[in-house]
Amino acid sequence: MSLVAALRTGRAVHTTSATLASSAGVIVHSRGYAAAVKPAKKVSSKFKANSGREDKEKQGPRDAGAYHPMPVNSLSDPVFQTENITSLQLPTFRPEAITPSAVAKPMAFPQGESKALKAYGLPRNILVDHLLLTKPCSVIRESTVDLLDQLDKASGSSSKDTRVVLTGKTGCGKSYLLLQAVQYSIQKEWISLYIPRAINLVNSSSSYAYDARTQTYGQPAFAQQLLKRFVDVNEAHVRSLATQAAYTFDDGREFSSGAQVMDLINLGLENQNQAPTVLTALLDELAKQTTYPVLLAIDDFQALYCMSQYRDPFFKSIKAYHLTFPRTLLEFASGKKSFARGAVLGALSTQNTTFRVPLELVESLGLVPSVPTNPYVRREAELLEYAKGLKNFPVPERLSIDEAASLFDLWHQTKALHIPRGDEIFLAKYTESGGNAREFVKKGILQTVTV
Amino acid sequence: MHILGVLLPENHFVKHALTHFYGIGQKTALRLCARVQIHDRARIRHLNQSQVTALTAFLSSPTNSPPVSVQPLAAPHPSLAAPVQPAAEQPAPVDRLREIKIESDLRRQMRENIAHQRMIGSYVGRRHAMHLPVRGQNTQSNARSARKLNRVERYN
Repeated sequence: MSLVAALRTGRAVHTTSATLASSAGVIVHSRGYAAAVKPAKKVSSKFKANSGREDKEKQGPRDAGAYHPMPVNSLSDPVFQTENITSLQLPTFRPEAITPSAVAKPMAFPQGESKALKAYGLPRNILVDHLLLTKPCSVIRESTVDLLDQLDKASGSSSKDTRVVLTGKTGCGKSYLLLQAVQYSIQKEWISLYIPRAINLVNSSSSYAYDARTQTYGQPAFAQQLLKRFVDVNEAHVRSLATQAAYTFDDGREFSSGAQVMDLINLGLENQNQAPTVLTALLDELAKQTTYPVLLAIDDFQALYCMSQYRDPFFKSIKAYHLTFPRTLLEFASGKKSFARGAVLGALSTQNTTFRVPLELVESLGLVPSVPTNPYVRREAELLEYAKGLKNFPVPERLSIDEAASLFDLWHQTKALHIPRGDEIFLAKYTESGGNAREFVKKGILQTVTV
Repeated sequence: MHILGVLLPENHFVKHALTHFYGIGQKTALRLCARVQIHDRARIRHLNQSQVTALTAFLSSPTNSPPVSVQPLAAPHPSLAAPVQPAAEQPAPVDRLREIKIESDLRRQMRENIAHQRMIGSYVGRRHAMHLPVRGQNTQSNARSARKLNRVERYN
């Protein structure tokens, strides 16, 4: 009888032994611990000493037999063919191919021919995209064509006339546009100096040292690394350049005018302490020469206008323009120094809220301030000087339908998505993101991947 | 690496590793790094010999360390240069770091302070002697730490 039935009928419940015993007519206690203890049986020991046996058979791993791995030959399903990863088939990014008819087409950045993009590094968001897409590529937009036209016009004139800052909403594609401009300049045989993360100049992540000669703080490790990267990309051009001024260094080395620029750079590469001075001298030399146009491209441009996270010996914060290299960049950006041929391109970034766009830069570029302001708000005279003459290049906040479709197609070709390649899904994601490029990719397409 | 007998683990940030010294907390460590021009992300293994020497020299006797000279900074434009005050009128920047005590000096100071309170017969001295809370805490309950640790002759 079950417990439930017994509770319903109100009868006592008996255990199994009791029921069996009651059928035999013997009274047995119903609880186990009160049962009679049977005497333990004596069992002879089966223990055998090891000392007698010498050749002990070695047992192999216990094999249940049911869990053998399948032989490789029978793994014929395409899922197991990991060697056959089809890479994206895309046209290569070439200056001749960038025409208004190429708008909304994806193009892959060339790999292997030059170390260019790999040498300089990439902004973090673009690096993540390239890792996911397995190939560095981007979509050509109308603003790409416009910007590259401006670069073409700038190749003959001083960089003072072409100091452009890419601005726009967060995630609208400023960093990608800057990257395309850098790639274009490299392929067009310009000398390019690209700083993908200018925030690393001001966030106290590299060593710094006061230089009494320039009365600024130099960053030796950063300067040396940048020189190395510069040489990796521009070696062929720099080998043909000769200095037009004389330079002397603290360790006694002297370079008279007419010396090889490459020797100057090698001094900075060998001797980290001299690297900041060498970098400034190199930029001065590039400013004077007329053989090659020079592109100075800076992402996270607003970081140069903020307070750095470095401290002086009295623990006061050091402003970014009191650091040697950021000051040089600001001088080129504001037109105080200029390349004889070339341009300066900057791109604002909204990712790091510690380094926001300051009011002086916002007003110089004609942007809308994020905080209500009035004429009585203090504006720093130094920053106003450094923000003079910057031209705003607004990047459209929305991708056009064709550009978005091309991006959608690109992600589909990587076979990373779990959604069908159809109009409904595409338009739904495009509408949800409002055409914003980053939202479209990260929150539209990639969020559909189910794990 | 060892500095003045204290082991600073190689992989730690310098601004954190310096807190291993008795008497140096996070704020003092940051100010010490700024004094020796060590950046925030520097690790102990990145320090060069001159920086280690500077740290050791300062920590061995903070009071007798050489005063830090002001590092003048170039103005972006001559018109923006701040008017230079004559050296006599310039107020000397306060250098709080020279007043710190670490390790044995600090422990000695604490022992002397408690001994002084006992010697003058103050309430604070009596409470230390009775192993009871000094600063007016409850004793009806919860005086465990005071009973365990309050002494006139501290072990450290």
